[in-house]
Amino acid sequence: MIELSSRDGVRKFSNYFWLAMLCLLAFTAIAPLFFIFAYLLVRGWAGLSFAFFTEIPKPVGEVGGGMANAITGSLVLMGLSTVFGVPLGLACGMALSELKKSAIAKMLRISIDLLTSVPSIVIGLFAYALVVVPMRGYSAWAGGFALSIVMVPIVARSTEEILKLVPASIHEAGLALGLPRWKVLIRLILPGVRAGVTTGILLALARVSGETAPLLFTAFSNSFGYRGLSAPTASLPVQIYTYATSHDETWRQLAWTGALVLVFVVFCLNLVTRILTRRTV
Amino acid sequence: MTEAIQKTVQPIGVATAALETKRLSAWFGDLHVVKDISLTVEKNDVFSLIGPSGCGKSTFIRCLNRLHEETDGARVRGEVLIPGAGKRENIYAQGVDPVSIRRRVGMVFQKPNPFPGLSIFDNVAAGLKLAGVVRRNVLEEIVEISLVQAALWDEVKDKLKKPGTSLSGGQQQRLCIARALAVRPQVLLMDEPTSALDPISTARIEELVMKLRSDVTVLIVTHNMQQAARISNQTAFFLMGELVEVGPTKSIFTKPKDSRTEQYITGRFG
Repeated sequence: MIELSSRDGVRKFSNYFWLAMLCLLAFTAIAPLFFIFAYLLVRGWAGLSFAFFTEIPKPVGEVGGGMANAITGSLVLMGLSTVFGVPLGLACGMALSELKKSAIAKMLRISIDLLTSVPSIVIGLFAYALVVVPMRGYSAWAGGFALSIVMVPIVARSTEEILKLVPASIHEAGLALGLPRWKVLIRLILPGVRAGVTTGILLALARVSGETAPLLFTAFSNSFGYRGLSAPTASLPVQIYTYATSHDETWRQLAWTGALVLVFVVFCLNLVTRILTRRTV
Repeated sequence: MTEAIQKTVQPIGVATAALETKRLSAWFGDLHVVKDISLTVEKNDVFSLIGPSGCGKSTFIRCLNRLHEETDGARVRGEVLIPGAGKRENIYAQGVDPVSIRRRVGMVFQKPNPFPGLSIFDNVAAGLKLAGVVRRNVLEEIVEISLVQAALWDEVKDKLKKPGTSLSGGQQQRLCIARALAVRPQVLLMDEPTSALDPISTARIEELVMKLRSDVTVLIVTHNMQQAARISNQTAFFLMGELVEVGPTKSIFTKPKDSRTEQYITGRFG
């Protein structure tokens, strides 16, 4: 017995030791998140003012101004990409869940996974060739199109996953009422997974709200505010990129504040997603 | 020879049969689970199907509204005849749309499965609404009639807008019965409708099934032999995909002809 209890001591020590190691490693992994947040708060807070949200940037050398152009631009681009990307993504997701293991579904699934991993700069190039060149100019259309390509696979896979959770018996209940499959899916199954589908859409939005590369040569940028869907359109990520690399102190401050706002928006989107997910399950 | 003639000239059954199967077989892949079943269900029967687990009784009734074929690798052969416009119609004949068959042959499942996210009202109205019935007063009337028929109206009439999933298990199952009745089927298939319910809910549903008899023909799969004895007037005993014996419930339970039926109902196996 005595021998055993001394072994117990070793076992307990080793248990606590490894637990402590795991906690340390876990903290190391998420530490950058806190550092980023803290640093953005420190650097960006100073520039946070009413003017930041309502005024357009002032010319180089002048003090003041805001990022109103980039904020409205980002909203327009996110709106456009939602309009293009969400219906397509939903359709893909529903097709995947209906076709299950058929050859078409497998191909579709592989294509969507590939699309997820296509570098976003390549998506930007694609949109440039397909929209910017024929339209002879940068535009919100082109930017929204590029962002929607980023959204489609995210929405598609999350929709598929959420539909997979619906028991087959619910499908059968609909079929047994004498309704065609597509009606059962769209009118009876989809309303039941609203929250889950919305979650996927919000996640996709959170993702595209920070995308820079697809916008560089599609929506490009402007310094005046919204000038229509066919005009170059500013966005937070692109403006942050431009201003952060400039030599103007005011602009660099704007970039920090812009980054803070952007991260805050993404954070909020993720938080809403969390709450919605909890309500679904 | 005389037997063959007798079978072809058997007009009595034809006139009143609500459903007849002829050499109906069903498979899951290579697994032959329903073997050559021929039986007749008369109009306004409560027809129970009993037998041990895996004997093919659930698969059998899933063939009667063409739901079996929705499963991957499932296959059906044979005929199922139900009265159509003027004459009887084989639901497996070429060109028959399973969707139209399922409006005439409704189904209630083992576990209550109301549509999540839909209100009590919309659950019952779903079949009609999606089939194109849009007039609110028509929908309201049919929803009320169906809920009354399913003995649920009094419990839910003040909360029709609440989600269907907010009801108790027994209420949910009656909601599913109301939903199936709302499309006015000729035949109602029930696949162990009380096996997930407590005794009180079970009693309510049994009572309800006996009342439904006057409006609709009921085929009910059950594991509970007392239930079959209580509510049905005809019983069929299935064993390993075969129909062993069929007849009036009373005689199946009191003087079965086949020794396997006797062994099963006296609890010696299954």
